[in-house]
Order: sequence, then structure tokens, then C-alpha cells
Amino acid sequence: MGTISIEHGDRLFWLGRYAERVFTTIKSLERLYDKLIDKDPQHYIKYLECFGLTDTFGSGESFLHSFIFDKDNCCSVSYSLERAYDNGILLREEITSEALAYIQLAMDSLEKADLSEKGLVVSLLPVEDILYSFWGCIYDAVYDEEIKNIILCGKSVERLELYVRLRYRKELIDREFVRLCRNLSHIPKNTPYRYNTAQLSVLVEIIQSKKGCRGRESEVLTALGRLFEPVKQTGRVIL
Amino acid sequence: MTIAAAGSKRSEPVVTVADAGEINDLLRRYGVKFGIYKNGQFKEQLFPFDPIPRIIGAEDFSRIERGLIQRVRALNKFLFDIYHEKNIISDGIVPEDFVYISSGYLPQCEGISPPNGIYSHISGIDLVQGKDGEWYILEDNLRIPSGASYPLIARELTRAASPGAFTGSDIIDNRDYAALLRETMDYVNCGGINAILTPGRYNAAYFEHSYLAELTGAALVQNDELFVEDNILYQKTYSGDKTKIGALYRRISDEYLDPLTFEPSSLIGIPNLMEAYRSGNVAVINAPGNGAADDKGIYYFVPKMISYYLSEEPVLKNAPTYLPYYEQDREYVLDNLSRLVIKDVAEAGGYGVVFGRDLDASALAAFRDTIIKEPRRFIAQEVIDFMDLPIIENGNEVMRKADLRAFVLSGKTTRVWASGLTRFSRDPDSFVVNSSQGGGFKDTWVLSR
Amino acid sequence: MKRLKFSFSTKLTFDNYVHDHSFALRFTPIESPAQHLSAFEADISPFVSVKNTSDAFGNTVTCGFIRKEHRFLDFEIAGIAQVDCTVPKTDFMPCYRYQTAYTKPDAALREFYRFTAEDCTFTDPFERGMYFSDKLSGHMRYEKGVTNTKTTAAESFALKAGVCQDHAHILLSLLRMDNIPCRYAAGLACCDGETHGWTELWDGTRWRGIDPANNCPVTDDYIVLSQGRDFSDCAIDRGVMFGQYTNQLQLITSSVMQI
Repeated sequence: MGTISIEHGDRLFWLGRYAERVFTTIKSLERLYDKLIDKDPQHYIKYLECFGLTDTFGSGESFLHSFIFDKDNCCSVSYSLERAYDNGILLREEITSEALAYIQLAMDSLEKADLSEKGLVVSLLPVEDILYSFWGCIYDAVYDEEIKNIILCGKSVERLELYVRLRYRKELIDREFVRLCRNLSHIPKNTPYRYNTAQLSVLVEIIQSKKGCRGRESEVLTALGRLFEPVKQTGRVIL
Repeated sequence: MTIAAAGSKRSEPVVTVADAGEINDLLRRYGVKFGIYKNGQFKEQLFPFDPIPRIIGAEDFSRIERGLIQRVRALNKFLFDIYHEKNIISDGIVPEDFVYISSGYLPQCEGISPPNGIYSHISGIDLVQGKDGEWYILEDNLRIPSGASYPLIARELTRAASPGAFTGSDIIDNRDYAALLRETMDYVNCGGINAILTPGRYNAAYFEHSYLAELTGAALVQNDELFVEDNILYQKTYSGDKTKIGALYRRISDEYLDPLTFEPSSLIGIPNLMEAYRSGNVAVINAPGNGAADDKGIYYFVPKMISYYLSEEPVLKNAPTYLPYYEQDREYVLDNLSRLVIKDVAEAGGYGVVFGRDLDASALAAFRDTIIKEPRRFIAQEVIDFMDLPIIENGNEVMRKADLRAFVLSGKTTRVWASGLTRFSRDPDSFVVNSSQGGGFKDTWVLSR
Repeated sequence: MKRLKFSFSTKLTFDNYVHDHSFALRFTPIESPAQHLSAFEADISPFVSVKNTSDAFGNTVTCGFIRKEHRFLDFEIAGIAQVDCTVPKTDFMPCYRYQTAYTKPDAALREFYRFTAEDCTFTDPFERGMYFSDKLSGHMRYEKGVTNTKTTAAESFALKAGVCQDHAHILLSLLRMDNIPCRYAAGLACCDGETHGWTELWDGTRWRGIDPANNCPVTDDYIVLSQGRDFSDCAIDRGVMFGQYTNQLQLITSSVMQI
């Protein structure tokens, strides 16, 4: 396969991130919703705090509606899905029309879910099913391993970020970190899409410590955000 | 989408008929089935779910809880006694014939002390509620009681399909069953992993075996991947290595458990498992030989056991029961056969249950002879007029007979799972609620207040 | 009291390779007030790590597992036992009162019991046992090959023939109908080239042995290897193995000599 432009590399990475953001957000909101039902109706405030936000919603109900359907809320499922589409539409050649169609389908069924009379989990089930199909299609239809791997790197960076932000259990974070490292190890040398080793060492040091991320979430989030930042050229001179 | 969250206005507290279809679709999606053999062919059926829950109030449940904990503690003490000192027999509380003739009593288990002295780790106690509101114990199941997985997954799916019913409610979340089960296994684990032994894909309760394994993190195993070496139970691993098993939650019955101790032709057992168990290297859950305590004949004596071992008054009543073995009871049974329910002590799963009122004169006479000939084989009970529960049939609410299987877990402490499997008969004339006889199930909601 | 030098060996040969072979052997003479081992050795081949446990009936069980492919399993024991059957053995279990799958009588056997018991004037359990054994030897002949290890008391009684195991099962059945607790004993006896099986009955305070195949009381010439409710509790070797369809050939030799 030929070369991937830096521009397309970036889009592939963000396609992976946004598609994953949609999925993990749905899953974590469902978990949250289960608590809101009959345990702690104020629990969504803790969720907001994880994003550095304060409660402007007043109720779990309007919070959930906004975080799922509000296109203007940059943390919402709907917003992320549109951003995934924005990236995907420019990648038809790499990811195939079929994979792109699943993103479109997911947007359609999210709209339907908003109108549905059913409960939250059941209404979102078709969206989850379509996302799984999207990933199956990526695995199956994208022949170029390098392209596939960039999407997967984006996917695992995103999942790890949300898990850390939302204070998931250490075992789960550890697993996702291993998955990320596995994907990173598949990136060939001498490619523009190379990760920043200094940031990776920060992640290794913190995540693999005995306490894990606890108390050092912001450091981890910063390092993750800068993982694919270009390394500053140190001006090596060849004589 | 409807979001019903606490704090928002509480909607209708029950599950609607529309939700019922949704829940049944979800149950199908997640493969909540049980297997059944019909005409020699294996079939998987969905276990019909009725969306109207059985609701048990906090006060009622706390009484049930006390009664069940007491009962299971006494049954565990009875089992230990029977396989060791046998004081309850020498003290004349239980006639020895009732213990030793029972097919569930296994002399091979004499003298074995299971880890931490626990015989019945998971007890499934069947109860019914009479029209008077009183709860009666119908049956103790101490061998391999099944069914907990059904209300467990049903609750998960009902919360998804019908969140409004739970909004701000006092319904105790029953999804802690896996954690309870895991604690129970960990408490008796003799070092090594936890494993659930299944006879395989074609077992009636395979869904349950695999689902509980997934939730508890135990390995789901079959006999051909296990072996006993140096009296230690191992699982063969893919790489040719072996992993020690410290607790085996086996879902196969005693007689097939170890072909070198029990039925030699068993193809689903593990040779020399009993030696590993006897040596204290593995906990077998539930302990082999438990059938000595859940025999339909022994049932009669459980209230006496409670007084004997715990010096307590039984909190929950048995259904009025007669043993034809005792002459006085036999006369009563023969005189009143046409209105009693007769149970064959050797049968399970709703088989071997005969209602006297269903028999014509010649069948009654024949049955009378059988009882005279083999009095030890039967128990007779008054037919309890138990409370019917509403179910939805073709969109209408109708009343049906239902029972409750409560699950009691014995580990460090003995605890009752705040839920249970409510089984109902779909046939309006039937009192038999077993899934193998076409019954359905409901979730059981226990309220915290 | 007698000092008996004994040996016993079994060679199991398979006509094809087997693997994952689990076995449980009950070949260690029971240590009891009436029987003491002053020397004992056991040998199992191919080499395999084994563990001993004691089962519910007081038998020593030697268990092993051979995972690799093999075509034979040989085991042998040898030793010296001091036997004195006048010293009481008192290890009672209630399960010895009840019929088992092997000893459960059918109508014919019940009928035989009925008229035998009717004619029996003895009250002492041991004398009743000897009386039953005597009547039984009038009904049964000793014949090899007509029964196998799975034959029940009722079946061999109908055939009027069988080996020591069958005679012992029928006597157990009769004694249990007579409410005399009793058990099966497997072991070695003088002048017998194979393993032997007989009956022990509980006379109210102790165990007494009767050898129904020879219609005689058990003397100091018998070494008990295992005991239980019936043959199934006493099998000297039980095993489960995996392999292609396999025939097994078993060769047994034993000897007991007074020294």
C-alpha cells in the first residue's frame, strides 16, 4: 500500500476516537442511569465533575437527555457521532462505503431513539448494535493493516481516556492500557504517525504503578492527549 | 426514549404489557433458555417470563429470611451429624430407616468433613403462600438447586425495558447474587481457582451454568478437562499445563460425580474426585451426600431438627404432612387419599406428584395398595390453598398458582438472597409449576421498606 | 493366631495404548484388632505417583493417575500378616443393615428366606448365619463362568450357580432379610489362587466371618483386603482410562502360606 498522508492519518485516528467516544459514553451513561433509577438521583453530578463541569441541568433526566441527544453539547453521544461522520466522510477510500454507512445508520437510529417510547437502555440498543457492526466492518473491509491500526490506536486512546476520567476500576484500565500498547507496537518505524515515547513513559510509570492512576488522573489525561504530538526535532547534525 | 430517573415524577410502579414483549425479546436475545428432552430429542425452550413481579414486603421477607436461615443452619447441622456422630438418631428424633434407606444418603461420605463444615452452600427452598398469608415450606433442595440465574438476568433486562417501575423504588437490587455466590465459593476454596462443572451444552440448565461462570469469574469446566493427581483436582490447560481447582461448584448429581466411588458407568464424572475431596484438597459445592437431608421423607422431620439442633421454634411452617410409614398417619392417608397430594420420595422436578382428587375409584384403590406395600416410598400432604398470582395471558390478567424458590447461601454466614425464582403454572387447573412441566417464571421483588 | 505370608499380583494388559488412566486400588490388608501387618510392600508399574486415603468403610485406597500413553498396569503386594479371628472387630456402620443393588432379593430369594428362616431354630446371629450358609450350599453349586462381577444375588440364586462373590451376596441378602447387619469382605485365603470373597455378620457386639462358598466359618487363614456393603465397595481395582476401543486382559495370582 502506498503512503498515508499526515492529514488522512489524523482523520483515521480521530475517526477511531470519536466512534469509541460514542460507544463508551453510551455504556457509561447506562451504568450511571442504573444508579439514578433507585440509588442516587444526584449521581450524575459526579459524572459532570469528571469533566470539570458543574450542574446546570437540575435533574438526571435533563442531564441524560443532553448528554445523549444534544448536538450542541460537546460531550454528548450525538455530537461525537457527527464528528465521527465528519472524519469518516473524507476516508471513504480507506474505510469503504460500507463502514461509512454504519456511521450514518447509527446517527439515524440515535434520532429514532430520541423519539422512542421505550426505556433508555432498550432504545439505545440498536445504536450499540450498529457500532459493533461498524467495527466488524473495519476489521473485515480495511485490508491495509497500517490504516486499520491507526483507527484502533485512536479507539484505544479514547477508551483509556474515558476510563481514566470516569474512574473505572484499575483492572479495566490496566486491560485497556495493554490493548493500547499492543496497538502502538504495530506502528511501523519511520512513519509520520509515530507516538511520543516520552509521553508513553509517563503513562507506563503511572498506570503500572501499584496505585495506578488514582489521584494522578490529570497527569495521565495530559500524557494521553500528547501521545501523538510530534517530537520536537533536536537538530541532529549529520557530518 | 423515556428517561425515568429518581427525583422525576414516579410513573406507574408496575411493568406494563408493552414492556413484557420487550423483555421477552431481550430474554431471547440473551439466550435465556432451558433445555428439555422430548421424545428423545433435545430442544431448547425459552423460559416464559411473566412481567408482573411477585412483590414481597419488607416485614414479610424478614420473617421468611429468619425462617430460612434457621432452616438451612439446622439442615447443615443435620448433615454433619448424620455423616459423623448420628446423635439425632440415637436420641430418637429421626428414625434411622428414614436416613439410611433414603437414596440421597451415601455411606461413602461417612466421616468426611467438608471444608468449614458446610454441606449445603446453595440451598433452594421452595415455599408457597397460603390464602391466609402464611408462608409454607414445600420442599428443600440441597443437591444442585437451579434457577437463580433467571430472575437475575430478568431483573437486569426489566430495569432496561421498564426503568419507570424502579424509579425511586424500595425494590432491593438482586444483582448481587454473583457476588454472594463468589464469596460462598471463596470461603470454602482449598487453594486454587473456582470452577463450575457442567455436564455440557445439552443439560437443561446450561444457560445458568455458563451465565453464573461468566458473572463469578469461575472457570466453566467439563469432566474431560479435569483430572485428579496426587489427590488434587486439576484443570488441564491449553498449553499442556495444569491449574489447581480449590472449589468445584458442580452441577451434576452425586451418583455421576466419581465413577471410581459411585456409578462406574458415569461418563460425566471425575475419577477419584472423592479422594481429593476426602483429603481436603477441594471443596465440592454442594457437598456429596446432601440428598440425605432433602429427601421428601426427611422433610417431615425438619421442624424437629430446628428444635433439636438450635433449640429454637421453627419460624416457618411445613405444609401439613403425613408419613404412611407411621401406622397412625397411614390410616389417615388411606382414609383421606382422595383429597391429599401424594409425593413419591424418589422423584424430583414435579414428577411423581399425584393429587388424590384426580384419581377415579379404581386408580384410588390401586394407589392405596401401593402405599400399603411401600409405605416408606410416599409422603402425603394436605393440599394447601395457596394464593394465586396474576399473570398476563394474551394481553389479559389471569390468576395462576405460583410458588417461590428462595436461595440461601451458606458461607461465613448464612444469607438469603433478597429475590428468588417465582414459578407459575400456565395451566389454570395445575398446581405443578416446574419449568420442565411447562411453567413460566416471574421476578421476585423484595422491598427494603 | 497364625502368621501368614502372602503375595498377590495383577497384570492388566491393554491391546491398545490408553492414557489419562485414573485408578483406585484397595489392595492393602486392613489393619484391625484381628489382623496386623508385620511386613508389607506394594509395587505398581509403570511408575506412577500414588496417594493413600482411607475410605468410609475403613479400606486403604491407593489412587493414581497415568496421563501418558501406556499399555499395561501391573500391581503386586507381598507381606506378612498376623491373623487372630478370636480378637473382636467392632467397627460397625448402620448401612450394613440395608440391602443394596447387589443384594436386593427378588420373590424367589424372599421365598427361600421365608422357609429357611421358618425352619431355623437358632437365635444366635452367627448360628443363624451358619444355618443359612448350610441351606444355601444345598441350593447353590460353585461354578465359574456362569456369572460375572455385575451379577446380583437374585440372578445367581436363579442360576443356582456362581462363584464366591455370588455366594457371599446371597448370604448377605438372607442375613439382611433376617435383620442381621452384615458386610462383604474381599481378600486372600489359603489354598485359593485368586482373590476370595466372603461374608461377615454382626452378632450384636462384634464381626464374625462366614465363607458361604466353602460353607464354613472364617478362620485365621483369611486375609481381609477390603470390606463394605457389597462387592462394589470392595473392588480391589477400579479404573477409568481413555483410548481407542480396548480389550483388557487381567491375570491374577495370589498365594497365602502359614509360616
